[in-house]
Amino acid sequence: MHKGNSQRGLKEIGIPILFFVGILIVWEVIIFLLHIPEYLLPRPVQIISEITVNFNSLLGHLGITMLEAVFGYIIANIIGFVVAVIFAHSKMVERGFYPYAIALQTTPIVAMAPLLVLWFGSGLASKIAVTAIICFFPILVNTIKGLKFVDENTIDLFKSYSANKWQIFVKLRLPNSMPYIFSALKISTSLALVGAIVGEFVGASKGIGYLILTSSYHLETAIMFAAIIISAIAGVLFFKVISFIEKKVIFWQKPEEF
Amino acid sequence: MESIIKVENISKNYDKLPVLDNINLSVKEGEFVSIIGPSGCGKTTLLKILGGLIPATSGDIKIRGSPVKVALERREFGFVFQNPILLPWRTALKNTELPLEIFGNNNPQISSKKLLKIVGLEGFENYYPKELSGGMQQRIAIARALTFEPAILLMDEPFGALDEITRNKMNLELLRVWKEEKATISAVIFVTHSIPEAVFLSDKIIILSKRPAKIEKVLEINLPRPRKVEVKYSKKYIGLVKCIREILKED
Ligand SMILES: Nc1ncnc2c1ncn2[C@@H]1O[C@H](COP(=O)(O)OP(=O)(O)OP(=O)(O)O)[C@@H](O)[C@H]1O
Ligand SMILES: [Mg+2]
Repeated sequence: MHKGNSQRGLKEIGIPILFFVGILIVWEVIIFLLHIPEYLLPRPVQIISEITVNFNSLLGHLGITMLEAVFGYIIANIIGFVVAVIFAHSKMVERGFYPYAIALQTTPIVAMAPLLVLWFGSGLASKIAVTAIICFFPILVNTIKGLKFVDENTIDLFKSYSANKWQIFVKLRLPNSMPYIFSALKISTSLALVGAIVGEFVGASKGIGYLILTSSYHLETAIMFAAIIISAIAGVLFFKVISFIEKKVIFWQKPEEF
Repeated sequence: MESIIKVENISKNYDKLPVLDNINLSVKEGEFVSIIGPSGCGKTTLLKILGGLIPATSGDIKIRGSPVKVALERREFGFVFQNPILLPWRTALKNTELPLEIFGNNNPQISSKKLLKIVGLEGFENYYPKELSGGMQQRIAIARALTFEPAILLMDEPFGALDEITRNKMNLELLRVWKEEKATISAVIFVTHSIPEAVFLSDKIIILSKRPAKIEKVLEINLPRPRKVEVKYSKKYIGLVKCIREILKED
């Protein structure tokens, strides 16, 4: 059984790597055959050398972007959770504010980014704000859902003990909402990076977004690719960390495949 | 003897759908009463009304002379529902202890561990519901209803998910727990589909008609107690089972 597992693991990692190498080769061949200029599509070798040569500077930019993304993410999820709990407890507050929460969601975040940079400056704060706004909605909606959609029969069980509202909240609604909450937390990992990078597009002097923008001005396409790839890797890792925590927290449920 | 439950002229409609039609019944202290009737006739509804979980459309219920709401707040009801209704994030033991936690009762008469042993789940205390079979889950639900000292046990087809052999064993265990371990449980109201089960367990069987349910017949079961398995071979037992079968067939 142990052997079977490690064999499957090898397949799971081995096959994507094989495909990856294949794609790189096809990529090289196409560029060679069609004479595509470097500023449109750099060769994989160039991108890889770009990443290795500028690794420290890339990591520096990535660090800034991740800092903004993670901060905005945490702030949004804390506030979103608290607001959802308030909504779930007060019909009046929910009726009053929910339309505005939806309006906030439907406003394209790119349209708001310049305003946020104007308000919070071109430092970290404005990117954190963009990220927080973008990550706010999933946690709000999912927490409300999780707190509300509790099995009727289980409510009956608690009623038969004449449990009070607080007991029902802590012992039933909160654990019940965990799968919903984690599904929001996972969706938001990629949104957080989008928020931070969009914020940097509008006005920044460092970060992945800044790097992509400046390299596009100078037609340094290989750097652009390097920045995109490294931020994609960071995004996947961010997602994996949250999935890992999810498996530990919601041990009673098989997590849905993403 | 004094009656512990007194039901007068209970009717229930869900929106326009009449489910219960003028139900009258009384349950005495120490009595085991089964409710039997066709599927969908309103047995679960009646049980939930008796336990104060849903209101009747009209009529009146008194539990030892008090309104149901008061009895509910005094935690006099122990429910076993048609489904186990366990919390998936709690182990068998933690699920069993749920009512004690809610009541803030740290000193139960019988420990939850012992109750799990009584329902045959020794060694499974730290298992999660998803790791247990449907029948095992239902047995946790029964242990859970026994942890505190409810005066009235309300059971909705608690053994419906069990196989014949386990079911018979659980019937005996239930009688034993009711009479010996839990002297505080005064009455048991037991909904079932199984006529033999009802006859074996009960002092009284209430037969309901098709929806909207009326009381079709009330039968006193005067078989000797404590009930032994052998009673099932007696003429009286077989006669009662046949009699109820006939009544339900006419319906
Ligand atoms: N919450 C509800 N709202 C509307 N109708 C309901 C509700 N609960 C039950 N009913 C209806 O009332 C009728 C009686 O339901 P109930 O669950 O009491 O029957 P039952 O005798 O327990 O059935 P079974 O033997 O299948 O468990 C059914 O027709 C059902 O559709
Ligand atoms: Mg039912």
